[in-house]
Amino acid sequence: MIRLRDVVKSYPLGDRQVTACDIAELDIAAGEQVALVGRSGSGKTTLLHVLAGILRPDHGEVEVVGARLDRLGEAARDRHRGRHIGMVYQTFNLLQPFTALENVLLGALFGRGAGAVARARAETLLRQVGLGDRLHHRPHALSVGQVQRVAICRALVNDPELILMDEPLGNQDRATGEQVLDLLLRLAAEGGKTVVMVTHDPASAARMQRTIDLATLRRSGGVAAEAGR
Amino acid sequence: MRLWTISLRNLRVRLVGTVLTTASIVVATALYAAILVMAEQTEQRYKGSIGGYQAVVGPKDASQLELVLNTIFNVGEAPGLFPLRVVMDLREGRVSRRGQVRYAIPQARGDSVSRHGFPVIATLDEMFHLYEWQQQPLPFAAGGPFVFSYQDLLELAAALAAHENGLRAGETTPPPRPALRSEWRRAVVGARVARTLGLSLGDAITPVHGKMGEFGYHEHPEAACTIVGILAPTNSPLDTTIFLPLGTHLLIDGHEGGVFVVDVPPGKTPDDAKRLPVAADRIGLTAAVVDPKDHFGARILRTEFGARPDAQVAWPQDVVPRFLRQIGNAADALTVIAWLVLLVACVSITVAIYNTMNERRREIAIMRSLGARRLQILGVITGEAVLLSGFGALLGLALCHGAAFALRGVVEDMTGVHLDWLQFRAWELWLLLGVTAVGALAGLLPAVKGSLTQVADNLAPSY
Repeated sequence: MIRLRDVVKSYPLGDRQVTACDIAELDIAAGEQVALVGRSGSGKTTLLHVLAGILRPDHGEVEVVGARLDRLGEAARDRHRGRHIGMVYQTFNLLQPFTALENVLLGALFGRGAGAVARARAETLLRQVGLGDRLHHRPHALSVGQVQRVAICRALVNDPELILMDEPLGNQDRATGEQVLDLLLRLAAEGGKTVVMVTHDPASAARMQRTIDLATLRRSGGVAAEAGR
Repeated sequence: MRLWTISLRNLRVRLVGTVLTTASIVVATALYAAILVMAEQTEQRYKGSIGGYQAVVGPKDASQLELVLNTIFNVGEAPGLFPLRVVMDLREGRVSRRGQVRYAIPQARGDSVSRHGFPVIATLDEMFHLYEWQQQPLPFAAGGPFVFSYQDLLELAAALAAHENGLRAGETTPPPRPALRSEWRRAVVGARVARTLGLSLGDAITPVHGKMGEFGYHEHPEAACTIVGILAPTNSPLDTTIFLPLGTHLLIDGHEGGVFVVDVPPGKTPDDAKRLPVAADRIGLTAAVVDPKDHFGARILRTEFGARPDAQVAWPQDVVPRFLRQIGNAADALTVIAWLVLLVACVSITVAIYNTMNERRREIAIMRSLGARRLQILGVITGEAVLLSGFGALLGLALCHGAAFALRGVVEDMTGVHLDWLQFRAWELWLLLGVTAVGALAGLLPAVKGSLTQVADNLAPSY
């Protein structure tokens, strides 16, 4: 499902290049649920963006859901992300002008298409997560937990093989966070999906099948660069 | 859900800006369309009205444009008088044996009817038998023509001259002034005259000397005429015209003596000339509509009248296009202004959308993270510009038609141009598409900026 070899991603900072992500080797099998942990600035989010195809590594091999992302152009990576990858963010990233249903359909629009089938699936998902009576509510009219559930539905609407989560519980109280994570992992397990979650929280990481510390993945085995993202 | 749904929602979110920008497009489109409609209808009116007027004969000292505008379009005052002799020469082949005419119908103007100032044309009944408007006799909606023939005119002219000469010679019992016969107190009115004044067959109208309310005007109750015919609408100046028998005009009180054109001989004063004998063929006319028998006859007329001292011939087919070109230049200038207004409106689209780009970076980054390609982002933002300009152009055209509906009466009163507010023209579709296309171009700059938004840098909220 995921195979990384000698992947480096760096950013210019002033007159020097700062390495944000340095992975010697990473393999994640289909259906696995993996937590990526590491101290702040260790490049967890950068790695997530590389896996999503949002960022292209400076060099190295990135194979995700059967596609060599390091070899694809930007538009092809966008298309691949839309169809095969669902993303859930700490800040939820719903679009305020759109209702819950429309936010979920936006994921379909840029993925496999937002026709009648997608609409039916979006409604089913929202009902499954207990938002059947909130389909036409905008994000500002929903609670934090409800917003996060909409974000999960959006990530699942294209029935993706891979779900990437960036600190998905960071903005919620523990009880709500636990519930949402339970929901997500259950839905992912039912669909046989691979889940990669970036987290600071040891308790959340413990819920996953495997935990990977980014520090152990570095080619140099050294300490992450200070400007990692 | 489609990309345009996102564009539409973005416009709704920024409602005030959307309304203001749309308003600028509406005004610009309406202005542009209004100028085109006015120019088109003016040209239609002027070009459509000259059918039938092959040539206009009038006084020598008038300009040809003045002569044509007054005779055909009822614009301005009659530019002077010329003698009946000219018409007699034309009809009796004395201008040139080869310059024969199908008809030469005399006209006299100077009176009007009602406070609307509908002009009165005193003429012969040939105006309804021989004269052709757009290859057809004048169409009647009701009734028919009055009777006043060329022979009636000649006999009346002779009687008037005899009476006038008796007076000038100081005879104690000069020949009596001919009476205004009851069968000459008849009128035919144009469609708009009938509609505006609520006239129908059998009603009476009273001519006014000059125009009601203007200096020196007075009514002619003695010449009140019964309406015997109402013309069908022609969307031409004929609609606002009242036709009376020429005899009625000549016999109206106050026209005595003044109806003759008298040349002042060398060494004499105008007062001296008033005591000189007059001839029947010196009856004064303001114009004659003439139709040469063929093209060759027209060339002969042109040559002969060039040398004639008492009258000239004007050719509407030459004069009107020249006049329209002059009007066209003004319309072109207005069109340029309208384009500039449109350009400013489109720039306002650019500015309105561009200014939102910074605050929308995160929204764009979120869509990109969901799989949106740069081209799709470009499409969403350009779509906003297309919706703004397209909707604005549509409303602008609607406003133009609405304004034509609301102002059609005023415009017709002021200019004689009839605005058909229900008529949709092919160029309106092109204008709609053109404005939309220009609007789309205006949206390209912010669209490109938006599509270049960096995803990873903008996904997190900025604090």
